[in-house]
Parts: sequence; C-alpha cells; structure tokens
Amino acid sequence: MIGFVPGDSPLHRAHPYTPLAAAGALLLAAFAVGTPAAIAAVVLAALVFAVVGRSLAAIARPTLVLALPTWALLLVLHGVLGPEPRGLLGPLSLSEPGLTRAAVLGGRIAAILVAFLTVLATVSPARLVEAMTARGVPFGRTYLLVSTLTLVPRMRERAARILEAQQCRGLRLGGSPLARLRALGPLVLPLVLGALAEVDEQVLALDARGVTRGARRTALDPPADPAAERLLRWALLAPAAGATMYKLGSAVAAFVASRAVAGL
Amino acid sequence: MKPVVRLGGASFSYPGAAVPALRDVSIEIRRGELALVTGPVGAGTTTLLLVAAGFAPRLTGGTLSGERDLLAARPGVVFATPWTQLTGLTHTVRGEVAFGPAAHGLPRADVLEAAERAMADLGIAHLAARDPATLSGGELQRVVVAAALALEPDLLVLDDPAAELDPAAADALYARLGRFAAGGAAVLLATPDPGPVAAIAARMLALEAGRIVRDGPPAVARPS
Amino acid sequence: MTGHAARWEEIHHAYGAEDVVHGVSLGVGPGESVALTGPNGAGKTTLTRMLVGLVRPRAGRVTVGDWDVAARRPDELARRVGYAFQHADLQLFARTIAADVAFGPRQLGIGADHVPGVLEELGLSAVAGRHPYDVPPPVRKLVALAGVLAMQPGLLVLDEPTGGFDRALRETVVAALRRRLATGVTVIAISHDPELVRAVARREVVMEQGRIVADRDVE
Repeated sequence: MIGFVPGDSPLHRAHPYTPLAAAGALLLAAFAVGTPAAIAAVVLAALVFAVVGRSLAAIARPTLVLALPTWALLLVLHGVLGPEPRGLLGPLSLSEPGLTRAAVLGGRIAAILVAFLTVLATVSPARLVEAMTARGVPFGRTYLLVSTLTLVPRMRERAARILEAQQCRGLRLGGSPLARLRALGPLVLPLVLGALAEVDEQVLALDARGVTRGARRTALDPPADPAAERLLRWALLAPAAGATMYKLGSAVAAFVASRAVAGL
Repeated sequence: MKPVVRLGGASFSYPGAAVPALRDVSIEIRRGELALVTGPVGAGTTTLLLVAAGFAPRLTGGTLSGERDLLAARPGVVFATPWTQLTGLTHTVRGEVAFGPAAHGLPRADVLEAAERAMADLGIAHLAARDPATLSGGELQRVVVAAALALEPDLLVLDDPAAELDPAAADALYARLGRFAAGGAAVLLATPDPGPVAAIAARMLALEAGRIVRDGPPAVARPS
Repeated sequence: MTGHAARWEEIHHAYGAEDVVHGVSLGVGPGESVALTGPNGAGKTTLTRMLVGLVRPRAGRVTVGDWDVAARRPDELARRVGYAFQHADLQLFARTIAADVAFGPRQLGIGADHVPGVLEELGLSAVAGRHPYDVPPPVRKLVALAGVLAMQPGLLVLDEPTGGFDRALRETVVAALRRRLATGVTVIAISHDPELVRAVARREVVMEQGRIVADRDVE
C-alpha cells in the first residue's frame, strides 16, 4: 500500500515534520555508513520506525515489490560479476567483496524504501498542508510537495477504473509477456492523457479560489508542535547530518592527501 | 449601474487554433442577472464563460481582441466534473469549502464562518466532517459550488454544473443559483439543455460558431 | 436457457457496512428496451456493473443469457455485453479516433471492417483521424459509445448515455439505439434524461435506495 493509511500511531499524531525528519535522518545514515553491520543497524532502525507508525503490514508488500528486482540485480552485478570470485556455492562462484558491496547497497535501498513508505503511510497530506501553511511556506511549494506525495494513491484509483473499462472492451489481463506489453498502452495512456486533460480545469479552479494571489494563507487547524518534538527532530537530524559531513569531509581529505602524495 | 462585465466586439482564439473560438461578441452582464449560455458542441459556450470571467487568455493563453471591461473583484468558476476541482489538499468538506477564503488570508474566524454559511446554503452541513474523496458525484458537486460561493464572488460562471446530478438535485441547484443572483451577484450558466433551468433565467445567450445569434428571454428551443 | 437476456435474482449487495441493493429481482427479455431510473445512489449503476462482472453481489445470482456471470471474467462477458460507462475518458488512448473505436472489435477478434460505418452513424467521420483528446468532451463520449457499438454486442448497457449532450447529440444516440433495437439487440439504459427514456425505452424500472419501487410501461 503506497499512500496515506489513516491510523492512530505516534507518527500519525506527531507534527508532520517529525516523521519527515526521522526519514531524513535514516536517509542520511543509510548513505553515511559503509559496512554490512552498520547498514543492518540502519535497516533495523527503519523497521522500528515503521513499527512505531504501525505501518509495517501495510508497506511490506510494496517494499518487497520495489526492492526485490533491485536486490536481484545487485546480486548479479556485484555478487556474481564482482572481483575475486571463489566457488562459494558449489559450481556457482561468487565474489566475497562483491557480496559485501551488494549487501550494503541492498540494505541502503531497503532502509530508504521503508523510511519513505512509512512517511507516506503516516503523514496525512491535509495535516502536512496545514503544518506548512502555519510555517508560512509559500503555497506553490506546499502544493508541489503534497501533490507529489499523493500522486500514487490518486493515480491508483483512476488506474483501477481504466482497467475496468478496458476489460469491458475485451482486454484480457495476464497471458504471454508480449500480451502484457501490449496491454500497457490501453492501461497507461488513458491514465496520463486523462490526468493531463484535467490539469487545465484544476489550474482554473485553484486560481479562482485565490491561490495565485500571493496572500499568506490562513492555517485553519495547524497541528500542535510541542517543544519536545522540535528537540527530537534536531536530535535525529543533527547526528545524521554530522555523520554525513564527517564522511564527506574524510573523503575530501583523503582525496586531497592522495593528490598531494602523487604530486610529491 | 455599471455592468459586472462588458465585452465589446471581442474575439478570442486559443493558442495555435486556426479558427477563433469567439467572434465579435458584444454583451453586458449586470448584477443580479442570471443568464443562460447555450449552443451546440464547439460553439464557444465554455470559452465565453472563461473570457467573461477573466480566466482567458490569462490562464489559457491565446489572443483576445476587442474590448473587455471586467469589474468583478472575485470571479468564481464551477465546471461539470466535480472531482477535477477538488484541491486534493484537504481531508474534510469543511476544509475544502474553506480553502478559498483561507487562500485569501482572511482571519481564521471569518474563514470558518464563510464556510459554515456556504455549506448551510447548499444543504451540505451534514457532510462537513466527511472526506471529499468518499462523496458521490452529486454531493461533490454541491461541495464544489459551496467552495465557490464561500468567496462571495460578484460574478459566478458555471459550465454545465448539473451534469452529474439527478433531476431533483439539479432543480435544487438551479434554485440556489437563482437566489444567489437575486442577492446581487451576476451568474452565467452554460448548459447543453436549457429546458430544466429556463424557469429561473431572465436571459438566454445562444451561440453558434463563436457568435451570439440570440440574446433575449429564454424561449422553447426550436429544432434547427 | 433462461429465456432472459439479463436477469438478476434476489440480489443483495453492500459497500462495507452500507447496504446498497436489497433483494432485487429483475428480468429483461431478449430485444427489450428498458430504462433504469431513480435518484443517484439508488443502486442502478451497481446492478448494471454486475452484468459485466465488475461487481460480485454478496448474495443472489446474475445471468446474461445462459451464462452465470459469477463464472466469467469481464473480458469474456464483453463478448455479449457492451457497457458504455458514464465517464468516457477512462478508455480513450489510441492515436486516432478510428483506431480507438477499432480497439474493442479487434480485442474480440471480430475485425474492424464495420468501424467506418459506426463512425458515420454517430457523425464522427469528419474527426476519425483526430486524436481523441483533440475533440470536446461530449464528442469524446460519442467516441466511447462508438467503441462499444462497434463490438456488436447482443446486450447494450448504457450509463447516462446522453449526459452533457445537447439536443442534436441526443438525437444521434436515439437513432443509433433504435437501429440496434430493430435488429433485436437488448438495451438497458440508466438515464436521468426523460427525452431519451421516452424516445427509446418501452419499459421503465424505477429504483430508490436499493429497491425497485416501480416497473411500468413507457408511453
């Protein structure tokens, strides 16, 4: 399930910026670490994040659907085709450093997916709009962010109806890979064309409601933002940002040092 | 009293169009007036609404020649398909109806009061806490009209607003629009079938190929 | 053979906890022309969607001819039932209107030779080479209807076929439906349009809140 799932978890009740900050911290941490043990810790943290949001069940399937093909690719690219292959699995030779790399990259993807999908599941678009409005974020930016977040659920509803309509014209689902490929046009094109055709009316409707006037929007029901939560966001982001800075800094320092040595 | 909108010999073409959508249109719409706009497909009824309310060419692109005096402070628009007019940014009907006043930066209390008034007007106060995504086409259209009325526009243009409604709901909507015009706003309503709404309109503009061919009291449509 | 073109027997259905159809039984004979009327939310669309397998009733049996709908997929039922949806834009995707109208017949394997005739009948010949989204919404709705008629179904089910249409377009639809009725096609139309009902239907079934409240002849 990709998209908001109403609920009563701590993440649902928190100020919308808090789950966003936590996901941001997980994202930074995922890129800051480089060993399988460390990435496993980040993945575990992401899973805990999902459990706190009571979203693990909802996001399990989309996570796997999105991650498995990538994991398979990583396994082949790094595990099979990586350096120093040894016969680790009977006749199949795998590269140990390659497997390590695949594990780190695969873990990174898993952590990011779980974090991102949990945010989608626990942050209500309407509450996010109110939070951003209360902060004085210009409407254009708010609209862009929230529309992107709600894109998949909005398209899914429409896609289901398109599927029905095309089936009633004799389109058969499943079948050979070629048949499935041919079915993409009648399913995807109306989705895109229909969405584009509606944009004009959407723009007019929003304009008529005054969003292009540039006035500062009134927040009607801004979510509470206790000091403790604001502190929590700092506590989550600061170390993760710091770790990223450190990693970048050491990479830059190592690069400069190697150039210096080469120049000597 | 000056008209809310006046067009003098106005012609309008959409960007890249070979043929003008409106030709040499001269009309005046006054406060308190409810005028119907009819015509066959492609005659320019929607375009007339958009040009009169100032949305074209500003948001549609294209070229407008001739004269247009638009004195409406806050033109409102309602289209036939309600779900394209939802902002998608609210999770309650109240939030959706309040969206316009909130976007204008009005004080919170005023925004909520405007929303309550508009919802009561359209008979949807009982839906205030509902998620717009769960409403039927007919309920949704009333929400959209309420959202437009919450801003108290002095000119409201509607393009086939009853398309999704059953006859009873359509009549109720037309009656409501009649009262809105009687309260001092100008209303332009495009409809493919003037029959059900002719009773509340004092005036009917018939278009053909972008030109106004008839401007007077609604008459029973004769087969052409 | 049940002798019916379409039949609903003791149908109960609910969306979540909300009952939408209460014990409805209705039979439509071959070649009949039935209008299904009543306020929005009465259950009319739910009932017709059962004919093409898009809704499975909680209880009761739905048959199309001698087929039990529960045993068939929507794309199989498309061979017998032509369903014209209320919102046409959902299905238009081809590069030209002619190609889009030909999609259904090609999927069914009946060929596209008769497509120009259907386009002519609905006044779409002039725009046959245009992209579906290059024409106004009412014309797109006609294109979708052409796509359904081109499948040559024995049972036509239409959901608000004249919604948003002016007099001229309505007459085009009426003529097309009358022509099909004359060849023995069965027509079931959900409609708020009293002129369409008068011009095409012989029988009117009125629904309210999930029940049939009237079943009468149309003058």
